Amino acid sequence: MVRNMLKINHQASKRSEGKEENEVLFALKTLKKEVQKEIEKTESLKELNEIFRKYLGKRQGILTQILRSLKEVSKQKRAKLGKEANELKNFLIIKFNKKAADLTEEIKKSTEEKEWIDITQPGEKPPLGHLHPLTLVKREIEAIFQSMGFSVVEGPEIENEWYNFDALNIPKDHPAREVLSLGKTFYLKGGGLIRSHTSPVQVRYMEKNNPPLRIIVPGKVFRSEATDASHETNFYHIEGLMIDKTVSAANFKAIIQKFLQEFFKKAVKIRLRPSYFPFVEPGFEVDMSCTVCAGKGCSACKHSGWIELMGAGMVHPNVLKNGKLNPKEWQGFAFGISLDRLTMMRYKISDIRLFHSGDLRFLYQF
Amino acid sequence: MIFSYNWLQSYFKKRLPKPKELAELLSMHAFEVEEIEKAGKDWTLNIDVLPNRAPDCFSHLGIGREISALLDCKPQFIIGRLAESKKNRAENFIEVKVKNTDTCPRYTVRVITDVKIKPSPKWIKARLKVCGLRPINNVVDIANYVMLETGQPLHAFDGEKLEGKKIIVRFAREKERIVTLDGEKYELNNKALVIADEKKPVAIAGIKGGVGAEIDKKTKIVILESANFDQKTIRKTSRSLNLRTDASWRFENGIDPNLTETAINRAAYLIQEIAGGKVTRGLIDIYPKKVLPKQIKLDLDYVERLLGVKISKKEIVKILKKLNFECNEEGVRYLIVKIPTFRLDITIPEDLIEEIGRIYGYGKVPSVFPISALIPPKRNLDIFWENPSKDILKEAGLTEVYNYSFISEREKEIFNYSAKGDISSRARHKEEIIEIENPVTVEQKFLRPSLMPNLLKNVKNNLKYFKEVKIFELGKVFKIAKSKSQGTNLTEKRMLTGLMTGDAFYQIKGIVDLLLNKLGISNIWYDEYQPTPEESKISTWKPKKCAEIKVDQKEIGFLGEVSSKILEDYKIEEKVVIFDLDFEKLSRLASEEHEYRPISQYPAAIRDLAVLVPQWVRIEEVLNKIDTVAGALLRDIDIFDIYEGQELPEGKKNLAFHLIFQAKDRTLTSKEIDVIHQKIIKALERNPGWQVRK
Repeated sequence: MVRNMLKINHQASKRSEGKEENEVLFALKTLKKEVQKEIEKTESLKELNEIFRKYLGKRQGILTQILRSLKEVSKQKRAKLGKEANELKNFLIIKFNKKAADLTEEIKKSTEEKEWIDITQPGEKPPLGHLHPLTLVKREIEAIFQSMGFSVVEGPEIENEWYNFDALNIPKDHPAREVLSLGKTFYLKGGGLIRSHTSPVQVRYMEKNNPPLRIIVPGKVFRSEATDASHETNFYHIEGLMIDKTVSAANFKAIIQKFLQEFFKKAVKIRLRPSYFPFVEPGFEVDMSCTVCAGKGCSACKHSGWIELMGAGMVHPNVLKNGKLNPKEWQGFAFGISLDRLTMMRYKISDIRLFHSGDLRFLYQF
Repeated sequence: MIFSYNWLQSYFKKRLPKPKELAELLSMHAFEVEEIEKAGKDWTLNIDVLPNRAPDCFSHLGIGREISALLDCKPQFIIGRLAESKKNRAENFIEVKVKNTDTCPRYTVRVITDVKIKPSPKWIKARLKVCGLRPINNVVDIANYVMLETGQPLHAFDGEKLEGKKIIVRFAREKERIVTLDGEKYELNNKALVIADEKKPVAIAGIKGGVGAEIDKKTKIVILESANFDQKTIRKTSRSLNLRTDASWRFENGIDPNLTETAINRAAYLIQEIAGGKVTRGLIDIYPKKVLPKQIKLDLDYVERLLGVKISKKEIVKILKKLNFECNEEGVRYLIVKIPTFRLDITIPEDLIEEIGRIYGYGKVPSVFPISALIPPKRNLDIFWENPSKDILKEAGLTEVYNYSFISEREKEIFNYSAKGDISSRARHKEEIIEIENPVTVEQKFLRPSLMPNLLKNVKNNLKYFKEVKIFELGKVFKIAKSKSQGTNLTEKRMLTGLMTGDAFYQIKGIVDLLLNKLGISNIWYDEYQPTPEESKISTWKPKKCAEIKVDQKEIGFLGEVSSKILEDYKIEEKVVIFDLDFEKLSRLASEEHEYRPISQYPAAIRDLAVLVPQWVRIEEVLNKIDTVAGALLRDIDIFDIYEGQELPEGKKNLAFHLIFQAKDRTLTSKEIDVIHQKIIKALERNPGWQVRK
């Protein structure tokens, strides 16, 4: 309809310019309404593009033609009409752009709606390996003691009788030696043995280092025992040793309590009971308040509220002498704790044999 | 040892705390009470008396003394009054000879006549039963009763059966025989001590009585022995005969020689009262070296320094007195403490400090942090690299296992290891593996010389549940070295060994590369595996699928596919590829030093190069050739395709590389690159049978 109107306009242009002017203005007004309506109705970018070409196409666009036809209009009128037509053109471009943006947004939305994923479907894990639980717990223990100034030290697994027994004040024919040596220690053909505890490292370290000493010694130890859920032939000890001028039982209590609190991440109580190990005097057995029931009594602590944790004591003067230290000058504490035991407590593992089983069904859980 | 609650109560006028409370008290201050059980009207306490206190506390009296110190009330122990005969002297009935007083420091004898053997009264029977002993007859029961009471083993002989009326304490003759009271026969050696009459041994001293002079229903004259024997002698005999008794157990741990007299008088009194016996006059007592109380000088400052708590002198003296120690002050700072002879365990001041500490109560010792120099812990370079190595392998997808340090006979055979005494090892002077003298099971007969046998066991077990196994272990291996170092030729070293199932040589090699790179080790290369002559027969590796891992000229480990023979022995149906690294060498080579290389501001140009080479040509050879001619502008070479197939000429493979060119100071022109590229092509084609594909 507009196109027709314009054609009429052209033909009429010479007849009455005044009248024509009003007609053109009217046509532009109609055009504006019409285009706006069409833009509004459009539902696709393709359609919008067609409409754009229909009105603003470089050659055939209706408005383009109008603008072009203005060349024939008189100068005075051209200015006014030109201005109107250009304003319309700019107005429409804005409208087109707006609609195009809206449509694009809508398309994006609808396609995103369609791109559905099942967020409950399991993720694809990169294939990482696993560290052994004993490694994990050992690292944790080392970190706690290192933060208190203890160095981590190791010693040989093949030992001789001197370091495993004699140097630790367990002479031949001593009943304690018999308990450890005949029944529990693996001897090697051709002499030597594999250590039954990490305590030999106490003396080895004293021999080569000047006090003050603060060390822990994690390591594998061997006992010749029938195995069951709580006994193994291969297991791990962590030995501790602190030597200085005045290191006391009270200091031992503080250090070990701090360690246990850090390790179990809760307040724990400890108690020392008298015990006997030839390489310490006084000797203690250390109990910790049960972490499961907080001391109230449960099956984990056999209803005592306490868990037996380690042997400890003040280093025996004979051991200091064997480590080439003067017992009149130096004193300190030593303790030995089972890494397997702490690891079992940490992860609620009920069978010590799992550690050396190599069973991936177990190891993949860490 | 089992103790009777009622028996312990009998030493005190005051009511003892209830069994459970008493047990708690003992556990906190003396010995752990492992079990409390009701036994009729009585209770039993199973007390874990530690070996150092065996001499004084394997007895109700000993535990009574402990209780008295803890409750601060005196125990009542009355031996009883002996009505010794006026006319009959003990010496008229028996002559005692001790041949060696080192092994028998004291031998006391009493003779009791007119004894009537019959069952014991109820109260004795009841106490013996509660403590786990079977009543026999009044005299034997009294001997046992007094042992449980005082800790002194006693033995009773029938005086009329001893030939020549003699008791001789002597060593057995080699192969001398004795039949013990339970009818067992023993053959003795000349280190065993026996109690003999003129003709034959009638008891194994301190261990068990023999037939021949035993008490029976008709016995009238009882010769009662209360002796002290040397710990070591008794222990050795007990071990060599594999015969342990209540008596041997006590002698092995040592007993106060002064105790024999108390015990024998107590037993004689009970026989007099219960079996109607008449005690002859005099105690036969062979005791050449009387043991006297020792004295220890105790520094009170040291008590405070070692326990970390200030206990007043008054309190210390009180504690020691409760334990029957006599104290004399020496100045303000010292005490001279006299140790009763029954406390064989107290020899140094620290022993006394333990006594003070436990009676005072460790619960009252405060927790006090030490005052110490603020020295940071030392990094231990020996073990520092363990954690990073494990982490790298974990990140590469391997799981850490811990295995036993032992291998079995079968594994030794599979891997063809030699042990001492093997004929093959003597012939070949091979490195030997270490055998355990006293293994628990045949599975654990040798120390592992390699981590591989047990890792393969892990593979076998895990393939039941998993399609793929990727594991590693870092642990010690053991061997007998050919030469001694530091007095021993038993050696141990750490190995880091990992494996994967499947045809995965290049994957495992990639992991080794990654590991070494991350540990800061460069100059890694792989060399032909050189089997030692004895290895060539049974090799661990598949012949052409293994390599030595080298850093510079040093071999640090091996890499390869496990031989089919070994896999068959393990019944593993998958292929297995393994790396086996000497971790001691690795630790020494590892380094944290790492320098940033500036990123060039100028663009890199990538040219592809495909070369057709004979199949046997190694990639390293091609890379080396490219490297030598390319110069510094060739920054990197990546191999991105290796192809062997039907489309290619017979016996050839195609290798395709990305060549990355870059300069630090300018953008390279394509002309420059072309020149180098052409040089490379020429160099490669100079080799017969090599053809660069254009």
